[in-house]
Amino acid sequence: MPARVPPRPRRRAIVRAGLALALVAALPLGVPSRAAADDPRPTVFVFLQVDVKSSALEQALQKEMPGLIVTVFGRLRDFQDSIVSRNPDAIVAIAPLLEQAQAKPALLGVRGGKEWEPYLLVMTGAAAAASGTTRPSLAGKTVGIVDLLGRDGTQTFAAAAVGTPDVKIKRVAKIEDLLPLLEFSAADAVLIPSSAIKRFTERTRLALAVRELPNARVGLPAVAVRNEKSRALVVPAIQKLDVETRSLLGIDSWSAH
Amino acid sequence: MRSASSSMSGRSSMSGRSRRRALRPAALCALAVVLGCASTAMRGADGTPVDAPLDPAARAGAPLVLVAMPPSLSFQDVRRSLVNEIQRDFNVATVTVTPSVTADDLGAAIKRLAPACIVLMNNDTVGLYREYQRSRQLSDPGAAFPPSVIVMASFIDELRPALLNATGIAYEVPGVAALVDLRSVIQAPVHRVGVIYRPSFRQFIGRQRELAEKEQIELVTVEVGEGAYADRLRSALHVLLVGQRVDAIWMINDNELIKSSEYLDQTWRAELSHARVPVVVGVPNLVNPRSPLGTFAVVPDHGGLGLQAANLIFDLAENGWRADQHPIELPISINTLADVRQARAQFGLRDDALQHIDRPLE
Repeated sequence: MPARVPPRPRRRAIVRAGLALALVAALPLGVPSRAAADDPRPTVFVFLQVDVKSSALEQALQKEMPGLIVTVFGRLRDFQDSIVSRNPDAIVAIAPLLEQAQAKPALLGVRGGKEWEPYLLVMTGAAAAASGTTRPSLAGKTVGIVDLLGRDGTQTFAAAAVGTPDVKIKRVAKIEDLLPLLEFSAADAVLIPSSAIKRFTERTRLALAVRELPNARVGLPAVAVRNEKSRALVVPAIQKLDVETRSLLGIDSWSAH
Repeated sequence: MRSASSSMSGRSSMSGRSRRRALRPAALCALAVVLGCASTAMRGADGTPVDAPLDPAARAGAPLVLVAMPPSLSFQDVRRSLVNEIQRDFNVATVTVTPSVTADDLGAAIKRLAPACIVLMNNDTVGLYREYQRSRQLSDPGAAFPPSVIVMASFIDELRPALLNATGIAYEVPGVAALVDLRSVIQAPVHRVGVIYRPSFRQFIGRQRELAEKEQIELVTVEVGEGAYADRLRSALHVLLVGQRVDAIWMINDNELIKSSEYLDQTWRAELSHARVPVVVGVPNLVNPRSPLGTFAVVPDHGGLGLQAANLIFDLAENGWRADQHPIELPISINTLADVRQARAQFGLRDDALQHIDRPLE
């Protein structure tokens, strides 16, 4: 797969220490809510790697589109499994994922006149300095990336993006999980969408080196309607999303297709 | 609060080995292994029926990953995410570890299934596996063992030396992850953070200090005795809040320091009620706007943990299954919960804070 993804076409010690793990009251998080089966409203499943918690995005979208039942997934696998098992009327995801789901985009997100955004390579300043060059080779290095397209697809994308097939990727479930990879030295660099770089760099005090990769472009969020009967409700509702909500999606407008 | 061992299996404070002996009636049925599409009715520690996880249909020729785990939901969340990731490359067999399961039972399953890798969830399961390894080494000193990956167990660094060919993912959320998240949602500064710990946590705290320094956060630590008497804890809190004037408190998950609600009232609440510093905790039920104590809780994201475990297994497979050469990893993915009423009133919330908290409580 090319990196340029077009928007379209010891027991005693343990007992002694007695760590109180958080299992006792595990948070019921990451499990999207389910709408009632008899609710007549069209269902829209959303999976986007944006730097906003899934619950917050779902709340914002649901508030803006009360005529639809919106479910936002935090993890790719949950999204993919739910498409198969729950057959939503429409889905919102990046274009390559729509293609995987054999769904044709009806709307494409646009930001700054483009239907795609670049991915950036971020490494710690120390790692960049140690390489002795502003564009170090990443052959044999570990690069963290959010799970965009499953294991194989994400590996292929990352390899093409950084320009070497020899890169080892470490997939994470959420954008905010990329920072710990650098903090814990669990990765040499991370790949991050340009829309998320501002908050990423604001969150940390690590000295970072950021560079754009010419071969790393990913389509912005797109909308596909899977049930034609719901098109008249779904498409206008999404087109009417306010500026603030579109901003959460990382876009500033929609283009119809 | 209970220790990791008891919270996962519902066991009493009796040591795991003694308890297992007591629960080992001779005629007890052998370990239940769930394979293929079979579903076996299991019982949890309290006798309640628990649905055994359904494993994906086995494919000929694919290497097998054996998952040994207690039946509780948290473990199932991790397993589900793990299986979703690895099922295209591996067969998966799940062994549900209940109090009646013995090391021999686990060994029999390993012998029969010949796994390429074993995932061990929680300290009791690790204890069983260690017992199995020791027993096997006695009869065959040169015995080789498949790689094992430990998850959802406390203090893996201490467990690892007693196991052969093992690695894993620590379950303790690093303080730096929690503190960076706190810093990103409140307006008050988070530069100097007070931590109280007992001597048995010294090594853990040393590592946390190094990690925090990377984010320009200074951990200001006070060591109390192993007994953690209430007066010592209060005195330590006073030192941090008044003497050191720390910006925040990180309450580590040590049962002795958060052992009961009465103890919490007499110590933490008594000292913190007027302190106006954010308190980071690792247990969600310590964050409650109706009974304020913790401001911000961080817990492992079990779905993310499953993905991380899958990544680790793929790494091992690509590197000759040498688990002993793979470092213990820190958990990457966390979920957050915050008392936003307290945070807003006392520390100021950043404009977009609510977009970055998994569960904001008002």
